[in-house]
Amino acid sequence: MAQMWITMGPQHPMTHGLWTLRVKVDGETVVDTEAELGYIHRGVEKICEARDFTQITPYCDRLCYVSAMTWANSYIYAAEDLLEADVPARAEYIRLISAELQRLASHLMWLGAFGPDIGNLTLMTWCMRDREMFLDLLQELGGSRMHYNYPRIGGVKRDMPIGFADRVIAKTKLFEKRLDEYEMMLDESTIWLVRLQGVGYANAESMVDAGVSGPNVRAAGVNYDVRWAHPYSVYDEVDWEPAVEKPTSVKGADCYDRYRVRMEEMRQSCRMVLDALNKIPGGKNTNYANGDEMIFTKAPTRAPEGATGFSNYECTRGASQFYIQGGGDSRGKNPYRVSIRSPMFITIPYVAKTMIGYKIADIPAIMGSFDPCIGETDR
Amino acid sequence: MVGSITPEQNSAAAEACKGALVDRFGGSGIDVTVEHHSNAKKYAFVRIICPPQHWIALAKWMKYDLGVNYCSMVTGTHFPEGSPERGWEVAYHFLRQPIQDQKPNTCTVHDVEALSGLEVPMEFEVFIPLPQGDSPTVPTIQNIWVGSDWNEKETWDLVGIKFEGHDNMHRVLNPNDSPEGFHPLQKQHKIRYHDHNEMYDDAQGFIRKPVDEGRVK
Repeated sequence: MAQMWITMGPQHPMTHGLWTLRVKVDGETVVDTEAELGYIHRGVEKICEARDFTQITPYCDRLCYVSAMTWANSYIYAAEDLLEADVPARAEYIRLISAELQRLASHLMWLGAFGPDIGNLTLMTWCMRDREMFLDLLQELGGSRMHYNYPRIGGVKRDMPIGFADRVIAKTKLFEKRLDEYEMMLDESTIWLVRLQGVGYANAESMVDAGVSGPNVRAAGVNYDVRWAHPYSVYDEVDWEPAVEKPTSVKGADCYDRYRVRMEEMRQSCRMVLDALNKIPGGKNTNYANGDEMIFTKAPTRAPEGATGFSNYECTRGASQFYIQGGGDSRGKNPYRVSIRSPMFITIPYVAKTMIGYKIADIPAIMGSFDPCIGETDR
Repeated sequence: MVGSITPEQNSAAAEACKGALVDRFGGSGIDVTVEHHSNAKKYAFVRIICPPQHWIALAKWMKYDLGVNYCSMVTGTHFPEGSPERGWEVAYHFLRQPIQDQKPNTCTVHDVEALSGLEVPMEFEVFIPLPQGDSPTVPTIQNIWVGSDWNEKETWDLVGIKFEGHDNMHRVLNPNDSPEGFHPLQKQHKIRYHDHNEMYDDAQGFIRKPVDEGRVK
């Protein structure tokens, strides 16, 4: 049969954003693919060069609206490396809690978008319902629903409000029960299993070589998590273990393994949040004033010429990295160069190639299982 | 709780990497130091400054002998006011992940306290200074780490560093029909904004005026 190219996207439910997947098909079988990115390139790196270090945080929030808190934290750690800031222990605990709540919300957004890809619309409504709980909690910290601008160089903007800890505990415990409900619905659904199992194999070595990271490689049995390998914040003090899935086939991880590993990650996030609230210095029901030394240490605002800062951070989709060079304008108030490494920018071209050999109908399942986010990809 | 890499494991591994690199490349102009981050847990990493002519030899050795299996980031920087021998700089960030020879159908769960040698995760930062000029060129490492492929595409697209030998180089973030030689992160391009030629003139917006100022309404 004659082969032909089909263009999926930029407007296609499979893309979860704006990008184009060009697929070469032979009948129903995919024989070649090409990814085209850059539809929403905003030039964040260039804009950052004209902003001082504090002003950059809101731009980093907007790299990915689904996981704004983790992206802002990622930038903050790089800026702290550059400016040599000290962070109080309580602020590190609050950052951990906020990042893990964001991870829960982000994975729920992923699951909610993945369900309709597979043909399970109920899942979307359930996930949106539960994500709202965590967005409410994050709103209490940052003041808005999506873009929080919450972490600061040297601490956090404000302390946890009174009663926040109790609400976190109640909602997290409720959500742990809800996770069991999800699994009851999904793991016994024939449609779910048929569409995910044995589809989209990606093996560990090729993924590491290609630069894929985060839950996608942990699904293939690779135990690499920045949170234990290069621990930042207080991940070495709270109780958790990395979610690693044993792949079901010698060919690597399939879509089902990637779904399993994210469910397990959500459990671990709940566990971390609950443990961090028990161990937080200063107590969970205390509210320190803005700028108190328990939650904020004033950091230098100017970076010396030639200094560099780097952070390696476990974002919800993999390792996000910032590399900053200081000494931008003559006063050193702006960075000279900010470079952002988005995990999905590397992953999407890799995923496009893993689709070769599968049917067109498998493309949404494969793409969705890798959790693409185009905001951070195009920057 | 599985535990995390301790600062002792981390600095021992960094010193071991530095020792191995100095043994192999000492005296060739490749400068290796162990640096510490000043954020979070102040962990150590290995910083290498390498002249471009030695880069491929160093890269192959890092990948196949030092076990550096993950290329995470490539950054190009333009220094139009820098010294003649450092008008551009390419910074590579690598990770060594503890997954040497992952067997199919297995799941690695590490006993973190027992990790040693090549298994200890480590960060590497490689700086390659390039001389002033219109065509900064560095050899590609696309065939050593597949992960550097799209990073190099992006670096060429945004900064204009040429990667010699790179297969299938094309625009990724800028439009396909961008003018040849247009690379927006080069420093001669400024952000224009609100009647100011440069955003840098008025980053805080204190002297910014509304566009319709003075017009009869």
